[in-house]
Amino acid sequence: MRPARTCCAILAGAWVIGGSVSAVSATPASKLYVVTIENMQFTPQKLTVHVGDRVEWTNKDLVPHTATADAKAFDSASIAPNASWKFVARHAGDYGYVCTFHPTMKGMLTVVK
Amino acid sequence: MKTIYTALTGFLLILATGAWAQGSGPTDPQIAAIVVTANQVDIDAGKLAKVKGHSADVKKFGQLMITDHSAVNKSASELVQKLHVTPESNATSESLKKGGEENLAALKKLHGHAFDQAYVDHEVTYHQSVLDALDTTLIPSAQNAELKALMVKVRPAFVSHLEHAKALQSKLNESAK
Repeated sequence: MRPARTCCAILAGAWVIGGSVSAVSATPASKLYVVTIENMQFTPQKLTVHVGDRVEWTNKDLVPHTATADAKAFDSASIAPNASWKFVARHAGDYGYVCTFHPTMKGMLTVVK
Repeated sequence: MKTIYTALTGFLLILATGAWAQGSGPTDPQIAAIVVTANQVDIDAGKLAKVKGHSADVKKFGQLMITDHSAVNKSASELVQKLHVTPESNATSESLKKGGEENLAALKKLHGHAFDQAYVDHEVTYHQSVLDALDTTLIPSAQNAELKALMVKVRPAFVSHLEHAKALQSKLNESAK
């Protein structure tokens, strides 16, 4: 077990270093937010983040989905079941988005400065 | 259209009036066969709509049915293998299969807007029927917790498909005026 733990610790350390570097290049307090796609819904359905934050959509349904903003301000393309897609919110604004496959699925991402 | 509704009515009657022994619903192997057949029937109709659909919306919906119901069947197949359940053909799965074949035969005779309307009308009725079957028979009857959970998990996709098909139906009816 010990070698595996060491390995994980090294990987975790590398991830933290990587994360902090990218956070510095974005904003000092860059955060990661997760939107879960499950039961044909985005949860939370409305989310507010700051410029520089990262948002990750994780698909927990059995069918593929997308997170696609109006006018394609962002577009995940197809997210397979059990996969996720991440992007950095670089521009302030209100972004209504849908799953292009399932028009009943709607969400709202607000990016503030 | 009459053929389509007759087939669906037959399916609903079988579910409602008890092709099953009194006091008991379908067994898990029978439920597995019903779930797989219900998905396959809609995949086959989707394949026809993708090719023969008149409007881009209908073609896209056909592709969505292929993608989503194939994904559900993949999960269902993986689960029954894991559980060592062999799907067992039964009156309901056979009725679904026959209804699906009759629907395809009826749709193949139609073209253009008439095809789109008949396909989408059937999708509305079909998804409503399958949802009713899930709620009244299939989910309550499932003995295995994982099989029950799978059906609970896929249910929202059927609801979304039903709403999507209803929206398409309204749009098609508007454009027909």
